[in-house]
Amino acid sequence: MSRKSLNFLELYATCFQEKVAKNITNITKRSLRYGRDDNRKIASGLAMAKEGLDSSLRWNDEEDCRAPLAMTTFCLYNTFMRKFIAILAAEAARALSQITKRGSGSALPGLVAQKVDPNIITKLANKLPGGVILVTGTNGKTTTAKMLAGILEAAGHKVIYNFSGSNLSRGIASFLIQHTNFWGTRMDGNIGLFEVDEATMPEIVALVQPKAILVTNLFRDQLDRYGEVDKTAAIIGHALELCPDAKVILNADDPLVASLSHYNKNVLYFGIDDDYKTLSKGAIDSRNCLSCGAELDFNPRFFGHLGNYICPRCGAKRPSLDYSLSNLSFTVEDSKATLNLPFGKTDISIQLPGLYNLYNALAAAAISDYLQIPSGIIAHTLGTISAAFGRMEKIKTNDGKNLFLMLVKNPTGFTQTIETLTFDKKPKNLLIALNDNFADGTDVSWIWDTEMEVVKNIVESVIVSGIRGEDMQLRLKYADYDMSKVTLEKDLSKALELGMSKTAAGETLYILPTYTAMLALRRNLSDLGLVKGFLE
Amino acid sequence: MAQKLKIYHLYPDAMNLYGDLGNIITLVKRCEWRGIDTEIVDVKVGDKVDFGAADILFMGGGQDSGQRIITDDLVGRGPAIKAEIEEGLPALLICGGFQLFGHYFETTEGDRIPGISVFDAYTVAGNKRLIGNVVVDIAHIASEWQTQFRLSTTVTSHTTLVGFENHSGQTILEKNTKPFGYIIRGFGNKGDGGFEGAVYKNAFGTYLHGSLLPKNPWFADHLIMCALYRRYGNVETLKPLDDSIEIAAHNAAIERSKTAKTLSI
Repeated sequence: MSRKSLNFLELYATCFQEKVAKNITNITKRSLRYGRDDNRKIASGLAMAKEGLDSSLRWNDEEDCRAPLAMTTFCLYNTFMRKFIAILAAEAARALSQITKRGSGSALPGLVAQKVDPNIITKLANKLPGGVILVTGTNGKTTTAKMLAGILEAAGHKVIYNFSGSNLSRGIASFLIQHTNFWGTRMDGNIGLFEVDEATMPEIVALVQPKAILVTNLFRDQLDRYGEVDKTAAIIGHALELCPDAKVILNADDPLVASLSHYNKNVLYFGIDDDYKTLSKGAIDSRNCLSCGAELDFNPRFFGHLGNYICPRCGAKRPSLDYSLSNLSFTVEDSKATLNLPFGKTDISIQLPGLYNLYNALAAAAISDYLQIPSGIIAHTLGTISAAFGRMEKIKTNDGKNLFLMLVKNPTGFTQTIETLTFDKKPKNLLIALNDNFADGTDVSWIWDTEMEVVKNIVESVIVSGIRGEDMQLRLKYADYDMSKVTLEKDLSKALELGMSKTAAGETLYILPTYTAMLALRRNLSDLGLVKGFLE
Repeated sequence: MAQKLKIYHLYPDAMNLYGDLGNIITLVKRCEWRGIDTEIVDVKVGDKVDFGAADILFMGGGQDSGQRIITDDLVGRGPAIKAEIEEGLPALLICGGFQLFGHYFETTEGDRIPGISVFDAYTVAGNKRLIGNVVVDIAHIASEWQTQFRLSTTVTSHTTLVGFENHSGQTILEKNTKPFGYIIRGFGNKGDGGFEGAVYKNAFGTYLHGSLLPKNPWFADHLIMCALYRRYGNVETLKPLDDSIEIAAHNAAIERSKTAKTLSI
C-alpha cells in the first residue's frame, strides 16, 4: 500500500510541475479533502497563488509567457508546494497507518515526506530557534532523551523530541512534521531533541547542523546491521567532523567514545567517580588501548568496558571529568547519587534501577548544565522521570499483579538489566522473548555473550518465547539453570498469559523482550486494556 | 582419575565477536556433564605457551583492529601450532580465525596479511558483506567421523550444521584442503552458495558463528572425542546426553533460515 501511494505522489508532483494552473485547482480540492482544521487557510493560500499566476498569464498572453510561468511553477513547487505536499502526504500516511493499525505509525509519514521533499528535515529544523540536540550511542538513547526533555521543559523550553524510539531519519522527519503547522512555516517548539541511530548520524548532522551532540556509549549491537563497533565509532566520528561548531558531550568511561575527541575538539566529558563494582565478569568490546593495542587496566570497571581505565604500556587514560556522579546506591526499583557539576554539586534520586540509568541521568544533566539550566531544576526533574517506552515500564494488571517491561537488545544491556534484579534476593518470575527480525538484529549469537548466569539463583520460573525462543532455552541450559523451571512457549500472547498465571497477586512478572517482541507484547497488553496504544 | 582436557583459547580479548564465548561454554559443559574436567588456557599476545599441552584449540573472529593486534604474534606461533595439528590436535577456527589459518588475507588495498597456512586456502577482501542464517550439509564428514570413532551418540544421525555468517572476505580453497561442508542455505566461503569452511586433519575452519557448537552438539562431541582419543587413546564412546533442547534449537534455526532474509551489502 505504501509503495502504491508513493508512486502516486511522485506522479502527482511531476504533473504538477508541468501544468501548474490546472493542478493548483486539483490540489486545492485534494487538500480540502485531506485537510483537517486548516482547510480555510489552505484554500485561501492556494487561491492567492492561483490569482498571482492568472495575472501573470493575462500580462503575458503571448508565447513568451512560458518562461515566467515555468519560473513561478518552479519557485512555487520547490519553496512552497514541495514542502506542503510532503507534509500533506505525511499526514495522509499517518492517518492511513493509524486506520490500518500497521506499525506504530511513526516512521511511514516521514518516509513519504522525504520521498517528496528530501530537504524536509533541514527546512523544518531551521525553524527551531533553540537549535537541535542529538543523542546517539548504543544504549540509553531513549531514556536519556526522555530525561533531557523533562529537564528542558521544566526550565521553560518547548521541546519537540522523538520519544517513541523511531530514530532513523524517516522517524525524525515524521516528528518534525507532526510538530509543524500545516504550511510548515512554524514549529510548535523552540528546541529539537532527537535520538539518532548511530549509522544515521552523518546524514542527520548534515541535515540539521546540531547545537550539541551526546554520545552515550558504544557496545556491540545488532552487528549484522552495522558491521563492527569500531566501524560504528568511525561513522559517528565522521558525523562529528561535519559539525565543528557543535558541542560534543562524551562518555569518558568508554574508551571508544572518549576517543571520538580526535574528530571534534569541542568536547565535554562525563563519567562515574565511584568504586562501584559489577557482578558481571568481562568486558567484551573495547578492552584494548586504542593508541597502542595493549590491554587496558580498569580500576574500577563499572560494567562492560566502561570504567576508569589506564593503559599500562603507553599511559593513555580516561580524560578528566567535567561532569560526574559519586556516592552511588541502588535498589531493584531506584538509584541515588551525588551529581558533580563544574559549579557545585547536588544529590539526585531517580526512579529507575541500575548504573546504566544513572549514566543516562548524568548525560542528561551534562547537556542541561551546558544549556545553563540551574542544578535545582535538573535534580528535581530527574527525580520525576519514569521509564521510556518499554524500557523499565511498570504496569499494574487489574488483578493486582505487576508487570515490569525491560527492553533488551545487546549483551551488555541485557547483563546490566538482569543484574538490577539481583539488588534484592527475592525469587523472581521471568519472561524472556527473543525475536530475530531486522529491528532486533537478525543474528541471535549475542545471547551467548550475555551473562545469564548472573540471575540463575534468584529465578522462580522462566518462560522463553519469541521467534528464537529455542535459542534462549538452550542458552539457559548452558548457564546451568534448573530446566524444570524453564518453559518454552513460542507464541508471545500465550507466553504472556502463562507468565501472568504463574505470578501471584502483589508479585511481579519481569518481562525481557527484544524490540519487536516488545512491540508485540505491548499490543497484547493494549488488547487487555493494560496499556494505551503505541503512542501514549 | 578423571580425564581432563585443556582448551586453548587464542586471543580471547582481541578475537571475540559474535558469541564465540558460547563455543567455549559448550565444550566445557558437555565435558562437565560427562565427568571430564576442563581447563581454559587463554592465549594472549606475548604469552609463553606450550601447545604440546593443548587438547583443543579455539580461535574466534575479530574486528579489523583486533586482527591487526594479533597477526604478528600468531605468525610467530605458526610452526608450533602446525606441528600439533599435524599430530591430530582438534581445532576450531571461526571467521577471522579461519582466515588467519590460511595462507594470507588480501585487503582491498592489495596488502597481504600473512596467515599460518594450516589450511591450503587464502582469503581476499570482498566488496560486499554476506550476512544471514546458514545451513550446511556435512554428511560426507559425518560419515568419516562415524568410521573414525564408533560413536553411539547423536553424531551419527545428524548431517547438518546451523549457524550465522557475517563476513566480507572470500576464502578460496586450494587442492590440499577440503571443504567442511556444502551450503544448503546461505552464502558460504566465496558467497556463491557452494563450499563452506575447510578441514585439515582435525582442524575445522568455518564462517559459522551463532554460536556454532551449542546448536550443533554432534560437532562439539566430535571435537571432544578427537581430544580424548589423542590424549588417552582407546576411547570408545562418549556418554550420551539428553540433547532434546539442542536439537529443538537446531531445527528451529533450520526452519528460520527458510523465511529469514539474508543480506548482501
